[in-house]
Formats: sequence, C-alpha cells, structure tokens
Amino acid sequence: MHKLKSNNLLRLIGFVVFGFFLFYLSNAIDELRVYQGATVAMYVVAISSIILLTGYSGQVSLGHGALLAVGGYGAALLRNNLHAPVWLSFAGAVLVAALFGSLLGVTAARLSGPYLAGTTLALAVGLPSIANQFKFLGGEQGLIFDIGLPPASLGETFSQYKWFFWIAALTALIAMWWLQNLLRSRYGRTWRAVRTQSVAAELAGINTARSKVLAFTVSAGLAGLAGALLSMTISTVSPSAFPLSLSFALATGAVLSGVTTLGGVMIGAVTLVAIPEIADAFTQRIGASENVTANLPGLMVSGLLIVVVLFVPNGPVEQFRNRRKK
Amino acid sequence: MIGKNRRKLIAASAVIAAGSMLLAAAPAQAAEQGVTGSTIKLGITIPMTGIASPGYNKIPGAMKAYFNYVNANGGVNGRKITLVVKDDQYIPTLAVAKANELILKDKVFALIGTLGTASTKAISRSAQLSARGIPALFVNTGFSGFADKKAYPTSFSLLPSYQMEAKVIGKYLDDNYAGKKIGLIYQDDDFGVDALNGFKQAGINFAVKIPYASGSQGVAGVAGTWITKLQAAAPDVVILFGVSSATAAALGNAYAYKYSPKWILGSVGGDATTIAAAKKELPYFMAGAKGLSFAPAPTDSSDEYIKMFMDVNATYNKGVTFDNNVVAGMTSAFLAVQAIKSAGVNLTRKGLIAAIEKNSASFANPGLTPLGYSATSHVGATGYWIGTYDATGALKPDGGKYTVYTTDSGTGAVVLSTYKRPAMPAKGLPN
Repeated sequence: MHKLKSNNLLRLIGFVVFGFFLFYLSNAIDELRVYQGATVAMYVVAISSIILLTGYSGQVSLGHGALLAVGGYGAALLRNNLHAPVWLSFAGAVLVAALFGSLLGVTAARLSGPYLAGTTLALAVGLPSIANQFKFLGGEQGLIFDIGLPPASLGETFSQYKWFFWIAALTALIAMWWLQNLLRSRYGRTWRAVRTQSVAAELAGINTARSKVLAFTVSAGLAGLAGALLSMTISTVSPSAFPLSLSFALATGAVLSGVTTLGGVMIGAVTLVAIPEIADAFTQRIGASENVTANLPGLMVSGLLIVVVLFVPNGPVEQFRNRRKK
Repeated sequence: MIGKNRRKLIAASAVIAAGSMLLAAAPAQAAEQGVTGSTIKLGITIPMTGIASPGYNKIPGAMKAYFNYVNANGGVNGRKITLVVKDDQYIPTLAVAKANELILKDKVFALIGTLGTASTKAISRSAQLSARGIPALFVNTGFSGFADKKAYPTSFSLLPSYQMEAKVIGKYLDDNYAGKKIGLIYQDDDFGVDALNGFKQAGINFAVKIPYASGSQGVAGVAGTWITKLQAAAPDVVILFGVSSATAAALGNAYAYKYSPKWILGSVGGDATTIAAAKKELPYFMAGAKGLSFAPAPTDSSDEYIKMFMDVNATYNKGVTFDNNVVAGMTSAFLAVQAIKSAGVNLTRKGLIAAIEKNSASFANPGLTPLGYSATSHVGATGYWIGTYDATGALKPDGGKYTVYTTDSGTGAVVLSTYKRPAMPAKGLPN
C-alpha cells in the first residue's frame, strides 16, 4: 500500500517536472516549433483516446475524426453563443463528445472486430458533413473558434502560438495524468480483463457490456477534448478539418505509439507532426518534383506503419519493456 | 518496476520531441522578411493532391511560369521572384500548418492565391495575418467576407463576389428573358446566400428554387431529384449556381433524362474541364449554355494577354495544357508583379498593401472589368462578360465581342461597362 502511494507521488512529480520542462522549452524554441508543439499536444490527447479504446478495452475505431468534430463544434458553439470562457468551452467539448460517445458505445458494445471498425468508419465519412445541413453549424465554411489574445500581463512579445502551446500542453498534461491514473484503477483493470478474455471477465462478475460502453464514453470525451484543441490551433471549425485522413492518421499514430500502452504516446504524436517536415526537407534537398513532394509524406507514414507492424507489433515501448523483463 | 521504466520512456520520448523541435534555428532577418536586394519570396498553399486538386493544381505552375518569365527579363525593380508551393489537400488544418511553415520557416514576404473559403478564413485567423501585417494576395474565393477590409485588412480577392455575379445574371435575364419562368439550383450555405441576395436585388422571381447541401451532390439519386423537380416546374431558363461537381451532376442527370432547358452556368461551377471529366458527352450536350468570366477566354489568341500567356506557357510551363486554370494563375501572378512594382524599390508589406489600395486603377491586367481595390474595398474584378459554351466546352464571347457588365457588392445598379483596359506593357513585362 505504501509503495503504491509513493509511486503515485513520483509519477505526479514526473508530470510536474515535465510540465516545467515544456515551459522552458516554449521560451527556447522558435515560433513555428511552438505552433507544432501545440499540434503535438493535440495529437497526444487524440491518440491516447484511441489507445484507451483499442489497447485497453479491445474496441476498434477507425472514425475518431468524427468524435473530434463533435468536440470541436461543441466548443465553438459554447464559445460563440454563450460566450463561455476557454476552459468551460473545453469542458463542454468533453461532455458533448462523451455523451455522443456513450450513445455510440451502446451500439458499439453489440458489435465487434470488423463490424465495429466499419461502423465507426461510416461515421467518420458521414458525420462532419452533417454540419452542412444546419445553418447554425456554419455549413462548409464552418464556425470561428477564437480563444482570444493572450493576457496582457504576459507581455507584448508573448505570441499567440505560445498561448496555444501553453493551453494545449497544460490540457494534455492534465488529461494524461488523469488517464494514467484511471487506467491503474479498477476501471482500467476491468477493461483489460474484458479485452483479454471477455468470458472469464464475465464469470468474474464483470458486466462486459457496461464496461465497453464506459470505455467508449471516456475515449470519446478525450477525443472531444482533442477536437477542441485542434479547432483552437486553426481558430475555426469546419467539416473539411475532420477528413477521413485525420481518422487514419490518428489510428496510425496509435499503432506507432504502441496500442497497448500509454507510455509511448509521444512517439506517435511527434511522428505525425515531424514526418511531413522531414519529407519536405528531403525533397527540397534533392530538388524532387511536386508529385514526389506531395506524395512522400503518405509513403513515409505507410512505410513506417508496415515496419512497425512487422517488427514491433506492440509498439516500441512494449518491446523495450519485454526485453527488460527477460 | 513497470512504472519506473515507463517514466524513463516518457522522458525519452520527450527528449526526442525536444530534439526534433530544436533542429531548425532561425536565420537573421533582413529589413523586411522575404525581401533581399535581389529577391522576393512569395508562398502559396493550395490543394495539389486530393479531391479538390484537379484543375487548381495547375495554378502554382502557371504562376511560377510567369514569374520565371519576368525573372529572365530582369525581374521587378531589380528583384527576382520565387514562389514556394505547399499542398494543403483542401484541409483547413493542413492549410494553417502550411501557411505557418511558409511564414515562419520559409520566411515568405507575402502569401498569394490561397484557395477555398474555409482554408482562407482559418489561415487568416490562426496565422494572425492582420496583426502581423502579412499580405494575402488574390485569394481564390468569391466569398464576399474577404472584401470586408475591417475583418480582413491584409487580404485581397481577385474574383468578383458571388453577389456581383448574381446581379449580373439578373440583369442578363431581365434584358433577354423578361416574363419567362426561371429555375435555380444553388448551394445552401454562404456561397448560395450571397447569390440569393444578389438575385433578390436584381428583382428575379424564381418559378423553382432548389437548394442543395454541400457534398450532397455526390450522393446517389440526389441530383436526379433536382431534374424531376425542374421538369415538374418547367422553367424556360435554369441557373446552375453551384460548385463544379454539382454542376456536372445536374447536367449528367439532365442528359440521362433528356431534359434541356436554357442553361446558365455560374462561374464557379462552369469549369468545362471538370464537367467533361464527369461525362465526356456533357460539353456537347450543354453547348449553347451561357457562362460568365471576367478574364478573356483562354481560346482567344487575338487577345494580347492570352497570346503572351500562351507563349510563356509554352516556354516556362512545358507540357501543360493551356486552359482557364493556367490563365487564372498567370493573371494572379501578373497582377502581383504589377503591385510589387508599384510599391517601389523600398518594398515593405505595408507599402505593398497601400500600393494596391491607392494605385490599382493604373495597374495593367488582363481582366476585362475595372479593378475595384480602394481604401475601403478589397475586391478586385467588378463584373463579368456573358458568353456561350461551344461543343468543346470552351466559353466564347457572343459575336466575338466581350459584352462586359459591371456592378458592386452592394445595392449599385448593373451597367454595361465602358472600361477600356490599359494596353499591355511591352512583352507583358513590368517596365
């Protein structure tokens, strides 16, 4: 018991230290990196949402972009119509997406494997374009989501992107802290039990259907938070910001991170942001044609995905851990 | 012990993240970003791949071709122009990321030709173009919001607004089809709302109005119901005021139903390349339809600008078919060169914006309508000529003569333009 407590404390200290490190980093790097850092933080939340759903509860989602859209629109509507403060619009995004996720989870609990993947995929295709049907959602051009300028007390040279980064990084840190605690709790153990052997879990008295719905709800809430962060970094929310390719990118990020553990979530998030840039730098150096420039990032991501699935199917973190155990 | 390893790994991935972020260091800045004594760097983000890319992905190449032509002949005020191209796949998130790269990493002087209302809005807001004073030249959207100088003080659109277009069509209907029954298919968002406002001002009453939600034109059966509704109401003239895919869907179904009223195609959807790609019989089927443009027809080699663009295309853009997209790209590039020249040797962002607002009346440009830039408006072209599509899908002026109507985005009347385009500078170069 004592050991558990001290472990918790150490973890909290780790998070706080990492937070301070990010704070230092935000002052040391140039503006483009700061902006990309905010995107990395958004991906961290979104990918952890998939890892929770797939790695811990054993449900597959290929349509997380749709859940991000729900969160993004929720946050924008709260902010624009009720003038909610930023933190409240984020909280609202979590709640709206979680509610949506719970309804979806009820359906999802009856499906499994490819059927569930297909259903979520259909959602990713269909849901964002619903915005086109209702005037209050702003149609194809979407809505403005303006979190406002950074407080004047931070000084005149404090850029908007640093402000994005601070908000996104703090949000991601809090979300990760909460999530890793949740996964260590009874709920986390229940989810893993259901994923590993659902019949055994049921015999042990676990209500598997309820457990799955709960996992879907929490995962959707996190996705909603990621959606709000994404909308913040582009200051708008529109159907085309949540294309099918976003859902696939997130699933890819989860696989690269290692889908069964939260520990590597930064790997996937950084990779998704870094690859287009690496590809860009490479094509510029060799002076490749526009066709190559346009298609290289996709090729690199797909290639990496194949390599990871072939050689480290559970992700680099799990692999490393198993090696250490032996 | 798992916990300990996990901490290590979190730390390790953090180091990777930090390391990758620190890789690039910012070079020292000149007086104005993107300008040196001998160069000017411009940036464009546009769909080069993905669903919206066909046609539009020819624009950057066309721009580069004209810039290279100018560079080979001494540049503008002694500076050569380079264009950095990024692909945003028509996704606003990517558009913002690419615009940030252009501004913060490639250090461009100005953006040019961003495409799509959602992406352009997102870039303008998130990259804080107005707070930083970064010019966004000639955005490719007719959304009337970008004309609003207060909301978008550094953005300029070249296309006339959708409202202007609707007013011009209204005038044409009044002159040629008074008392006839009119039908309309339009997109049910800001695009269509702008148009409805224009039609209302023109006093057009529709026998049948069919709104469609953006994206629904691709759903099986939807476009078929449009034609059924049109057949029931039996209008004499039908206006297709949607994007190219919706226009192609409407024409494709009309072809299948053997339904052929008098068509009028809005400028956004009237791209024969896209329509022909949907069904190769369509250009022949729709021959005789009316269409609108503000630039000279791409087939009109008697026009001095088109002739010059064709030559530039043949030399600097080898292997690319000359069409309306090439004309659009070169027109933007041409106007950018005029604006940069007018801003003088001491080129600054502020100076460029001021030059467009003050001096645009004297800019040479291929457009057949006056340029409307002023201290209060950032809309370029102010009207359209109406012509007829031939069986190959080329839009040609009636009787070989451009009849140009001009108007504003407000309540102003539509009048026949008496505008005389300034003669093209020698060889189409800034001098």
